[in-house]
Amino acid sequence: MNKVCSLSEAVEKYVHNGDTICFGGFTTNRKPYAAAYEILRQGKGDFTVWAGPAGGDWDMLIGEGRVKVYINCYTANSGYTNVSRRFRAAIEKGEMIYEDYSQDVLMLQLHAASLGLPFLPVRLMMGSGLCEYWGISPEKRKELPSVDDLKLAYVDNPFNPGEKVVAVPVPKLDCAIIHVQQASPDGTCILLGDEFHDVDIAIAAKRTIVTCEEIVSDEYIRRDPTLTKIFGECVDAVVRVPFGAWPSQCYGYYDNDDKVLKEYDKASNYVDAEDAKAKLAKAAAKARKAADAKPGDAKLEAAAVKAEQAAKDAADGTKVPETFKDYLDKYVYGCKTHEDLLNVIGGKRLTDLRVEPHLGYSTRH
Amino acid sequence: MYDYKTYGYTMSEMQAFAIAKNIKENQIVIVGTGLPLIGASLAKAVICPSCHPIVESGLMDCSPVEVPRSVGDLRFMAHCAVQWPNIRFVGFEANEWLHDSDRLIAFIGGAQIDPYGNVNSTCIYGKGDYVKPQVRFTGSGGANGIAGFCNTIIMIKLDKTKFVNKVDYITSCGWMDGPGGREKVGLPGNRGPQMVVTDMGIMKFDEETKRMYLAYYYPYSTPEEIKAAIPDFPLIVDERAQLMEGPTPDIIKTIREDIDPGQAFIKVPKG
Repeated sequence: MNKVCSLSEAVEKYVHNGDTICFGGFTTNRKPYAAAYEILRQGKGDFTVWAGPAGGDWDMLIGEGRVKVYINCYTANSGYTNVSRRFRAAIEKGEMIYEDYSQDVLMLQLHAASLGLPFLPVRLMMGSGLCEYWGISPEKRKELPSVDDLKLAYVDNPFNPGEKVVAVPVPKLDCAIIHVQQASPDGTCILLGDEFHDVDIAIAAKRTIVTCEEIVSDEYIRRDPTLTKIFGECVDAVVRVPFGAWPSQCYGYYDNDDKVLKEYDKASNYVDAEDAKAKLAKAAAKARKAADAKPGDAKLEAAAVKAEQAAKDAADGTKVPETFKDYLDKYVYGCKTHEDLLNVIGGKRLTDLRVEPHLGYSTRH
Repeated sequence: MYDYKTYGYTMSEMQAFAIAKNIKENQIVIVGTGLPLIGASLAKAVICPSCHPIVESGLMDCSPVEVPRSVGDLRFMAHCAVQWPNIRFVGFEANEWLHDSDRLIAFIGGAQIDPYGNVNSTCIYGKGDYVKPQVRFTGSGGANGIAGFCNTIIMIKLDKTKFVNKVDYITSCGWMDGPGGREKVGLPGNRGPQMVVTDMGIMKFDEETKRMYLAYYYPYSTPEEIKAAIPDFPLIVDERAQLMEGPTPDIIKTIREDIDPGQAFIKVPKG
């Protein structure tokens, strides 16, 4: 069966509002960004998210209010943003329902889902806040059909009476989206480099969208079955999306877009122009207070003058820094399709990201 | 008092050297990015080449040519022995404990640490709580499991806001509330934090009480300065505190020219 379709068709058909959903990839590696952009463009949301090691992918969707419940183990564009900023703001403002598991547990839960297990006993999280505190209370959980009634339960190991272990629920995924290097029309996938949890979620989810760098024929993909990692019958849609993980990495193909990940780090600090003005005014007042507290300190005075200038420039519109909204307008909403985005990024930039085969990464990224 | 001109190395270089010195022959070293990676790379290059750096994403025996920015970075992935998915890493660390092997040593970081080496990397409550904290961090990542099954070295800046009597939230378990504390909650008692490497000195945990004491100060620091930096923290400072020598010019040259020439994690002052 030929499952090839366009990105807009795939998201239209296989991502539903209110889905319990998981993306493949690891923080800044092989994240299905192009699909995330398309979800943003189509206005879909109300998701319950098993986030895995997440980064800017879920940070954007959180910032745009598309996430109802966020099940977290780690959210950062490591090496660029210490803690993803929209994720952080949503929690600090109390705007998002969320739960924490450790990364080990969350990844094992996704694996358990791929194995079809009823629940999962682990020797993890005991004694820590991860067991002690619940982001979603038992009462709240009862009101939320997409989450289990319990975050976890201590159970006795039946094979070693007296040993208490932690039982955790197994995710029930509606939708999985992964980005791979090669796929064939029947859905068979070749993943190069670390597979992460991608194979697990492709098996576990009711609907799986595969975006890929290249589509190859069903015959060609079978030339060496040691390379194929996902059985095509687990896959619902195959979409050719070259650079579909941009600005994250894709093993054997391209590196992080260093400049754009830094751009997102800065931009995602401010929701929009109003937020930027308010934050810069606050920063200026703080810098001024610090300088006034230590008269004669040249460094503090210079910092205060600089901060005041930035606040003034933002307030009168001379120079408003790029915001989260601007970033999305530029790379997501301003592009009707992924091809439009490739033109915005530009040919030179994209070729600079190509990994150098002898190194496995790019020295020009 | 530290100044670059007198010592010829940065405080980060001192820490990287301290990390490298504490890695032993044939150890399997769980590193993240940042200083632990620089320290492990230094160990692998000159101090104990038989060690095996691994990362929590599942990449085993890594030997990156260029410094990676994250544990899933192509720079780890392209130059390692095995590319396991994360769950294999989790199983490996658990089985090392089940087999009673103590080859693993792990580096973790955090925002708060208490006298028993319990570490918080989830959130600072401020006036709020876990559900609505003042400052939210990434969450556990691999640290919780690592701290459960492995001996750890904790990397943290010596700062009174970080060294606290009680952490807001235990992300990674240390010695819990003292002797027997780990066993009580179901964690292996023969694993736990071994030391705390800071920019000013190194702390260890008392065999009997499991409380933190000062083990080493650096050429540019004194026990008094360390104590004064964390006045409300019950750090034990006694005759066990010794001077740790700084890195030799050869070591500094290796860090700057071979390991982090791009100064991704160790910035070297100009001039």
